[in-house]
Amino acid sequence: MTNLIIDDRTLEACQRGDPEAYRLLFEAHKDRVYSIALCFFDGDEAAAKDITQEVFLKLMTFISQFQNRSEFSTWLHRIVTNACLDRKRALRRFLSLGEPHERTLPDRRMSQEDKYVQRETEASVRKVIAGMKPKLRIAILLKYFDDLSYDEMAAALGCSKGTVASRLNRAHRILARKLSHLRDAVAAGE
Amino acid sequence: MFRKHVIRQLSAYYHQEFSADEKLKIQAHLRTCSQCRTAYEEIRLGARLASVLQVSSAPESIWTDVPAKPKISRHWRWVGFAALATAAILVAVVVREDFYSGPSWEVTGLRGMSHLHVGETLETDTGSQAQIKIANIGRLVVRPDSRIRLLATQSSQHRIALDRGKIEAQTWSPPRLFVVDTPSASAIDLGCQYTLEVQEDGSSLLHVTLGLVALERDGPETIVPAGAFCRTRKGAGPGTPYFEDASTELQAAVTRIDSVNDPGERLQQLQIVIRESHVRDALTLWHLLPRMDAQARGMIYDRLAQLLPPPPEVTRDGILALNPKMLDAWKKVVSQLWQ
Repeated sequence: MTNLIIDDRTLEACQRGDPEAYRLLFEAHKDRVYSIALCFFDGDEAAAKDITQEVFLKLMTFISQFQNRSEFSTWLHRIVTNACLDRKRALRRFLSLGEPHERTLPDRRMSQEDKYVQRETEASVRKVIAGMKPKLRIAILLKYFDDLSYDEMAAALGCSKGTVASRLNRAHRILARKLSHLRDAVAAGE
Repeated sequence: MFRKHVIRQLSAYYHQEFSADEKLKIQAHLRTCSQCRTAYEEIRLGARLASVLQVSSAPESIWTDVPAKPKISRHWRWVGFAALATAAILVAVVVREDFYSGPSWEVTGLRGMSHLHVGETLETDTGSQAQIKIANIGRLVVRPDSRIRLLATQSSQHRIALDRGKIEAQTWSPPRLFVVDTPSASAIDLGCQYTLEVQEDGSSLLHVTLGLVALERDGPETIVPAGAFCRTRKGAGPGTPYFEDASTELQAAVTRIDSVNDPGERLQQLQIVIRESHVRDALTLWHLLPRMDAQARGMIYDRLAQLLPPPPEVTRDGILALNPKMLDAWKKVVSQLWQ
């Protein structure tokens, strides 16, 4: 996972059309955007790639409009949310999502057994999230992939802070009820 | 202690979204309520499960396939030329269409008007309201007994004038693309949802429900975040913003400060604001700094510093002298209230 920090100078450089700055911006956000889309579409890598490309295309088209990082960050999360929800709506009209896709988890420095438990737990969590209503799904992904505050999520999702709290509450309870047998696995991982 | 159950607040509590006071209240309730305690255990398990999600690496091919990045390979350059040529033809067709009809916004709910063109006026009577698509960036509801004019709609800016009445606006565009001119100030969208109402005397009231709006008129911007109101007056521009949960005494005092010129009365009202202010009212106090005289500014500095201490580079003298860099540095601290 990339942990680059984008500052106002990088944004300004992007606004001047600096290719290196564009690349930095892409590197800083690509994994989180891709991960949200990948999980939202139940492991569909092609959909996640399309969404990520769409987001960065919009980002590069509108980059000159931003005055600071805070404005940029709110807008980035909003277009990720809209891209996922719009595509989901379009898909719903024509077909069901079908079987979950296999995906490769990033390599971690863990024992084989730990890796296995981690992979199995994560796969179960992804499966339950994929079965949630889209509005609950995107809320939990923004929270856990991007660690947004409730205010930031409200701005990205176009709803009130209270609605964010309510959606996360429902999503947490669904996860807990469907995966209560994994209580020990997550407790051991802490 | 909360008498009511706190189940709805438990995810926000887990994510530390509450102030210290609110946290203490919830903790106290959890100690005595087994139902909420059980719910909290469930929320906590759900949150721990969600925390196992790992970020996946995006394939490198995404970068090479993003067609709008500034540096493109020779191969893509040819593809780009072809795409540009096609786009040029399409643009020519669209421009030709626009030459005849002009850019417009789609209107629904109003008899006799399906589109609003640049330069046109839309008026609702006491029994009608209109829904408008703001190009592809948002929605606008024009409430009864209102009048708007479409001043511009381009990719760089969409602008209307609200002459009277009330609108509800929601946008999902990058900031500063949508502007509403009123007789007393311009409301600049910073990614948000809000209502704006213009009275017969040209004054207006802005209420932001999501995101941020900037108000501007011949001076520095006034920032109005979600949950805040701001009045504007003809000839005086934007007033001082305040949060909707501020005490009624504070709200009344702010309105009075914005509308009277007598220094003695303004100082008296400021004392009410200071007495009634809590952390969230730092929004109001910061905006009052340039609006008051030096003596009053000292009182504001002292209270604001108690609520949200300034960063080290900010001094009392600098703030009394309205040093722009220091004001801006402190504003960054204050803006954490809505970020």
